[in-house]
Amino acid sequence: MAKAFKYGRKGITGQLEQAERDLLRNLFADIIDMLEPASAAHADPLAALIGLDMDVSVPTDPALKRLLPDVVKAVDPASTAMALEFRQLTERSLREDKIGALRAADLDLDSDKMVLNDEQAKHWAMALNDVRLVLGERLSIRGEADADRIHQLQDWSQADDVDSYLALVYNFVSWLQEGLVQAMLLGLKDRGRARG
Amino acid sequence: MTVSTAPDLARETRTHELSAPDVPWVLIVWNDPVNLMSYVSYVFQTYFAYSEAKAAELMMQVHTNGRSAVAHGGKEKMEADAAAMHGYGLWATVQKDDMNTGS
Repeated sequence: MAKAFKYGRKGITGQLEQAERDLLRNLFADIIDMLEPASAAHADPLAALIGLDMDVSVPTDPALKRLLPDVVKAVDPASTAMALEFRQLTERSLREDKIGALRAADLDLDSDKMVLNDEQAKHWAMALNDVRLVLGERLSIRGEADADRIHQLQDWSQADDVDSYLALVYNFVSWLQEGLVQAMLLGLKDRGRARG
Repeated sequence: MTVSTAPDLARETRTHELSAPDVPWVLIVWNDPVNLMSYVSYVFQTYFAYSEAKAAELMMQVHTNGRSAVAHGGKEKMEADAAAMHGYGLWATVQKDDMNTGS
């Protein structure tokens, strides 16, 4: 498998095979589906403007909760109330930002050779990260030992059930994100050097 | 976190760090086994404008101690930072700085 993302004179370039692009499109679409708010934006224009949503509740799906976590450790009634209040103020815009990054990355997949500016690269890193968070939750990756166990699976001929297939997809997306972030870090380093 | 790359610790650049010890709220980033070490470092460098060395140090604290206090400040600023971390997919919470959150 070729290196998908590289840092060079043109910035960050990426090249993916058709099957890889199809897989990513499906993954991005799945996560967008999860993140679409259940209700339309608030009818009150001011509430809609500031993204206020009084109908939100803590997600019951642990994968969705990992994407939209509480802002405080909800350990008692006071902290639970604070977490909910924060959710009412921010969850809708958090969902929209995440969907925005996933859609932006999806658009870049229209061409088989990608040239990403900083903003596009950031959207890609965020989108791939959210995909990995959801897959990690589905695969019950709770600790480093789980992560190592999943990492062992690298051969597509081993994909004989849903979990091993998901594990291989997780490893592919991890490999993609690692390469992309390494390219982004090289870009940061280069600019740091240019600034002296 | 998974997949480590050796950070270039020798190269010290500008650090943007709030040093006031008495500010009342703190932003905690928690370890999770999915987020890549490189990605956490990238977020710390770009969002907080921390140097590569500072970002690597905080990232290693998250990795080895399970959490790190990555920013200090007023409640609203810490909440805004936490929301930004959630945007990146990092697991972050805010709490009152009880002097017990350094690691």
